[in-house]
Amino acid sequence: MEFKDYYQTLGVAKTATADEIKQAYRKLARKYHPDVSKEQNAEERMKQVNEANEVLSDPEKRATYDQLGNRYQGGQEFQPPPDWGGASGFSGAGAAGAGDFSDFFADLFGQSGRGGARSYKMRGEDHHARLMVELRDAYEETIRSLTLSIPETDEQGRTAMKQHTLKVRIPKGVKPGQHIRLSGNGSPGSGGGAAGDLYLEVHFKPDPQYRVDGRDVYEIVGVTPWECALGATIEVPTPTGKVQLKVPAGSQTGHKLRLKERGIPGNTSGTPAGDLFIVLKVELPPADTDKARKLYETMAQELAFDPRQKMGA
Amino acid sequence: MRQDDILSGQLLDEVALSLDELARACAVDPQWIVQRVEAGVLSGTAQSRTFYFASASLVRARRLINIERNFDANLELAALVVDLMEEVERLKSAVNSI
Repeated sequence: MEFKDYYQTLGVAKTATADEIKQAYRKLARKYHPDVSKEQNAEERMKQVNEANEVLSDPEKRATYDQLGNRYQGGQEFQPPPDWGGASGFSGAGAAGAGDFSDFFADLFGQSGRGGARSYKMRGEDHHARLMVELRDAYEETIRSLTLSIPETDEQGRTAMKQHTLKVRIPKGVKPGQHIRLSGNGSPGSGGGAAGDLYLEVHFKPDPQYRVDGRDVYEIVGVTPWECALGATIEVPTPTGKVQLKVPAGSQTGHKLRLKERGIPGNTSGTPAGDLFIVLKVELPPADTDKARKLYETMAQELAFDPRQKMGA
Repeated sequence: MRQDDILSGQLLDEVALSLDELARACAVDPQWIVQRVEAGVLSGTAQSRTFYFASASLVRARRLINIERNFDANLELAALVVDLMEEVERLKSAVNSI
């Protein structure tokens, strides 16, 4: 395990005052805020910054860290001293949750509810994670694997981050932004307290074919000018299979045809299914042969059509 | 794959979060949530003298906590930032649909 230089992470000197640490943290928290940052690995950097701040902004944790830091440099191989017991009284991480911190942090400061450190009954912390699913997963119940780093405490009361792979059932009818709660899969409790829960926030992987809005699904479908002008029945692939779709005569690019209740299905509580909107996009055949060019020329001569007429052109 | 290896969870919205559950999931005191409901920053449904919250409130509450804590922001400022984040999300989604 590498020794982490928290001062370097925040870009402050080892002699930095509490105010300087706070200022440096805020600056980086803004820079790497996952909702707005355009930096690469913003989420990962934010975790590192949060972890450094968690330690350096707490006088007790900072003193404990400095005690070891005098003997190590960032990146150096680190083994906590065998008698390392000073950390056992620390409570866990704040809003970020112990699960968001590194192995190094867990080894130094443990986590709330760490075995042996607490004798009173306390419920384990809830954890949060994102779960990426495909749109098709919402149409039929599926199983997805998810790997999480979870702090675990051994018999000696030492905490280390362990990789856990969970297989999770994705219920039919799940929609973006919804949470799946896995009771008892958060941090273990202490003193006989219950384990916390794991909240999975559902996100849909971007799909070039479909866009999702709540339970409604939008699909852009290419159509020919004559299918739109004259009307036609076309075959369209949808998340539930191919359907025959009637394109009314006089349709245009951007027209939406609603397929009722063919969006994301309702869940078991009886929520209605969303709709599937087929958005038409007229695609022109290329004028790459004499025949095609001739046809376009005939249209140009025979059809009195000026799409810019209303614009006063 | 054994059947018991697969975890089945509750889909929130189907099962709304109680005040205590939301507070626990955000690692805050329930009073923190109540203050924000009273200030109109978080919305919950009142049922038999307690509040229940939808899935979206969990995301919103966690964002509020982060902004308040990271920047020592007051409640209104944090709410304004979170409102803007939600607006950006809505606009991004609208842009993708063009």
